[in-house]
Amino acid sequence: MSRRFTPKIVTANALEEGDVIFLTADDIWSRDHREAELIEDEARARLRLLHALSQPHVVGACLAEARMGENGPEPVRLRDAIRARGPSNYPHGKQEHGLHV
Amino acid sequence: MYEYDDFDADFVRARVARFRAQVERRLEGALTEEEFRPLRLLNGLYLQLHGYMLRVAIPYGTLNGRQMRQLAMIAERWDKGYGHFTTRQNVQFNWPRLSDVPDMLEALAEVGMHAIQTSGNTIRNVTADHFAGAAADEIEDPRPHAELLRQWSTDHPEFQFLPRKFKIAITGSPHDRAVTRANDIGLRMVRGPGGESGFEVSVGGGLGRTPVAGRVIRPFLPAADLLPYVEAIVSTYNMLGRRDNKYKARIKITLLEHGPEALTARIEERFAQLRREFRGTDRQMLARIRRQFAPPPFEEKPLAPYEAARAADPVFRAWTDTNLTPHRRADHAIVTVSLKAPGATPGDATSAQMRLLADLAGKYGHDELRISHEQNIILPHVHRADLPALHAALRGAGLATANIGLASDIIACPGMDYCALATARSIPVARGIAARIGELKLEHEIGPLKIRISGCINACGHHHVGHIGILGLDRAGVENYQITLGGDGTETFAIGKRAGPGFAHDEIVPAVERLLRAYLQLRRDRRETFIETFRRLGGAPFRAALYPSKDKADAA
Amino acid sequence: MPLEAPLPPIRERVAELNRRYRHHSAAAVLEHALNDPLVGPVALVSSFGAESVVLLHLVSTIDRSLPVIFLDTEMLFPETLAYQRAVSERLGLGDVRVIRPDREALFARDPDALLYRSDPDACCALRKSEPLARALEGFDAWITGRKRFQGKARAALELFEDEGGRRIKINPLAHWSPRDVQDYIVNNRLPRHPLVGRGYPSIGCRVCTTPAGESEPPRAGRWRGSDKEECGIHFLGGRAVPGPAPKTVIVTDTGFASDDWTGPWLTPEALERAGRGAALDIGPETDLGQLAGHLEALAMIRVNFPAFSDGRGFTIARQLRRMGYRGRLRAGGHLIADQYAMARRSGFDEVEIAADLAERQPQEHWLARADWQQGDYQSRLREGF
Repeated sequence: MSRRFTPKIVTANALEEGDVIFLTADDIWSRDHREAELIEDEARARLRLLHALSQPHVVGACLAEARMGENGPEPVRLRDAIRARGPSNYPHGKQEHGLHV
Repeated sequence: MYEYDDFDADFVRARVARFRAQVERRLEGALTEEEFRPLRLLNGLYLQLHGYMLRVAIPYGTLNGRQMRQLAMIAERWDKGYGHFTTRQNVQFNWPRLSDVPDMLEALAEVGMHAIQTSGNTIRNVTADHFAGAAADEIEDPRPHAELLRQWSTDHPEFQFLPRKFKIAITGSPHDRAVTRANDIGLRMVRGPGGESGFEVSVGGGLGRTPVAGRVIRPFLPAADLLPYVEAIVSTYNMLGRRDNKYKARIKITLLEHGPEALTARIEERFAQLRREFRGTDRQMLARIRRQFAPPPFEEKPLAPYEAARAADPVFRAWTDTNLTPHRRADHAIVTVSLKAPGATPGDATSAQMRLLADLAGKYGHDELRISHEQNIILPHVHRADLPALHAALRGAGLATANIGLASDIIACPGMDYCALATARSIPVARGIAARIGELKLEHEIGPLKIRISGCINACGHHHVGHIGILGLDRAGVENYQITLGGDGTETFAIGKRAGPGFAHDEIVPAVERLLRAYLQLRRDRRETFIETFRRLGGAPFRAALYPSKDKADAA
Repeated sequence: MPLEAPLPPIRERVAELNRRYRHHSAAAVLEHALNDPLVGPVALVSSFGAESVVLLHLVSTIDRSLPVIFLDTEMLFPETLAYQRAVSERLGLGDVRVIRPDREALFARDPDALLYRSDPDACCALRKSEPLARALEGFDAWITGRKRFQGKARAALELFEDEGGRRIKINPLAHWSPRDVQDYIVNNRLPRHPLVGRGYPSIGCRVCTTPAGESEPPRAGRWRGSDKEECGIHFLGGRAVPGPAPKTVIVTDTGFASDDWTGPWLTPEALERAGRGAALDIGPETDLGQLAGHLEALAMIRVNFPAFSDGRGFTIARQLRRMGYRGRLRAGGHLIADQYAMARRSGFDEVEIAADLAERQPQEHWLARADWQQGDYQSRLREGF
């Protein structure tokens, strides 16, 4: 039944701008995926998510799979990679600001 | 074309002011996200993959030059300089800030537009035949009825919190260009026994996870009874539709669960009550609206420049062969401007392109523009003598792609590049197929073909009604594309059948190519189209091409 | 663990246990209770509420396989459900049993999930006491987190209690002060319920819990405005204490007012016996056909909205007016200010809202739509609307 827990980060959108944001270990919301806190423990992941859900200027908080890369956590799934980078048809989103992983 | 009167203008402005206040309350924390969500959705504001997305209605797909220019301005000022035209005759802006949205809505209100009910569990933007009022095959322009429905459904107090979204499409022509059978209510204009106009009413159509053709519950509804009858349908659905499971909440499931006879009986009973409440005011309003849809003052002038250009310029001729549709006046044409140039994102137009089209509509097209569910832009009333000049202007802006109705005129939803619901990307697949078709130089050889791509089961890309449909799914974190064959969104409506196992992202373009090559081999002659060949032979030879047998694959 | 001999009666065992462990710490009481031959099979009942983590943690240090019974009344905050999973995992609890109300009973007695309004005790019985009674069958004792400071009914709480001669109730935290609870959570770095930070020191069902003021007793937010203090599961046999429904605010075009209706609310089944001037409470599943012939006599009908996103009530209101009902029509349950115009246009005279919503969406938010007659497309498309 229980699957092995894979590392996660907490991500959301900024309430006012809508930007994709990531929760860091010191409770700051960063625009940069590489600054996210990589959570290795399922119970902690749930608690961090609960913390994120209770934040007022944040919407759509959820957990996303990630793994440690050279410069910090990197997305695992394509969907999260697109969120962390931007769409593939135009150079918009994070890739516009050099923030992409 | 319909122009807002004071009532419409005041309504939309008041609505913007209310939404501005709601946004402020949300930012202050007086509204929770749970409470704000349905309110922002009722005003067309989604939260998507990268941020907010504002969906603006283009009611029945009609707009004028001033409105198109305002869309261009909005795209430039508050977005990234482009808009995405959708399969439900809306335009989407992908990058707005929540705090800017009230200003965007105000800019829309200035030109008689809004984003009301482009989302949420309510009656959505009513869609119509994009050639309405111009097509040669039309019984009557359906747009006055569509505008009446727009007014009736806007802020209808009973129907803002339905079990699920509710879509209405209307066509005035026997040729169904509005995919009416894939809507919760489909209205197809027909003539009654005495020659009077009315509607064949179908209910419970839809694509998505349970694709089903709408079922006709009234073969002939007098046009005068349109509002009470539609209200009876939605009112019955509001009480009976399931609210415990959103996948079973659409009226198509209500119809299945209660049975068409029982549901129709309840609708008719409610209709009998409601009919008394509509005693002519609605028809007076319809008459007023109809006057505004009077045909433009068509010009009489010689066709010589058109004939000359066709004879002299093969590029022009090819474009007129594909991108024109017969107008009700033989000396005019309906021009479809393709938003599917090689490398383009289906349905996207830049601000510069929008402005150019607005200018051209002013110069050659009685200031009228249409958005089609096939994600192209239409100039519905162009004198044939003006076509060479129009074509030259479009060509200069990269808008003269001659591919309407052909293999590279692909419908694609935004897919996982933008959409939070998507399970796979659509845009790169559409671009990949279009690029491959360009390389093969077989597009004109292949002829009419509708390829439709959706990035998830919700089927915004209408894949079920594509001759070739492609559905992008997520298989254990990897994109996987299923192919359906034989779908048809017109009056010969059919839901495509799944061909077999799916293909990986890098296999889907070659798979489509195999289908195209198979068709060229299988067709009786050049006049037999892909869908005709498919109907004659069935899916087997196409499946054989899609899945070459093991030893064949090894031998190759 | 099979017992050698039948245990003595509960009353005697409770007296003995209280004598033995009077001066023991909570941890010691728990540890002994779980091993004392005077106590048979034990379960912990936890709401995974604001302070539950203390007892759960204590138990996890002694025996992680102890059955933990969690009552999901199906009216809980989503945060509570998430918290339950997070805490269970964090503490490594091995036998968490999620208990839910009986489906058929729910269907029969509370199909619209509105019972809490008309009869909160019946709601507690249906969603808590009865499922708990079933879940506790086979257990000789159960552990609760009740504390003496929590309310006047609990002021004399003992460590061990005799529950009607049927079962032993173990209250290891009976003597704890609020400060003790907080210190324990902080010292053991235990996760807090997410709603605590949002003003909910005591957390029950969504519909009957509001945030408590800072100077109020922590449980003041539970069943606010009602005499109800205990949720029934700590009462012998779930004895019902009649009390008024939670206090509400009535909204009309002139703003907020308190409810002037003091009479009883009838259900559709009681219609036959209703006299003139009665008030009727209906939900979205009510068959309007059965009201025909009674409408003339009714002074008021309240149509309950189970959720603000459930728009059936608007159609019901229109239909009642269409059927000729001219009396007072009230929208109850969950509507928000932004729906006021829809309610009025559908034929409602007034909207009844909960006190906490009135706080969050004050009068001016509602009065902003007192202009509901303006800009109404329906009134320009039809007559007699």
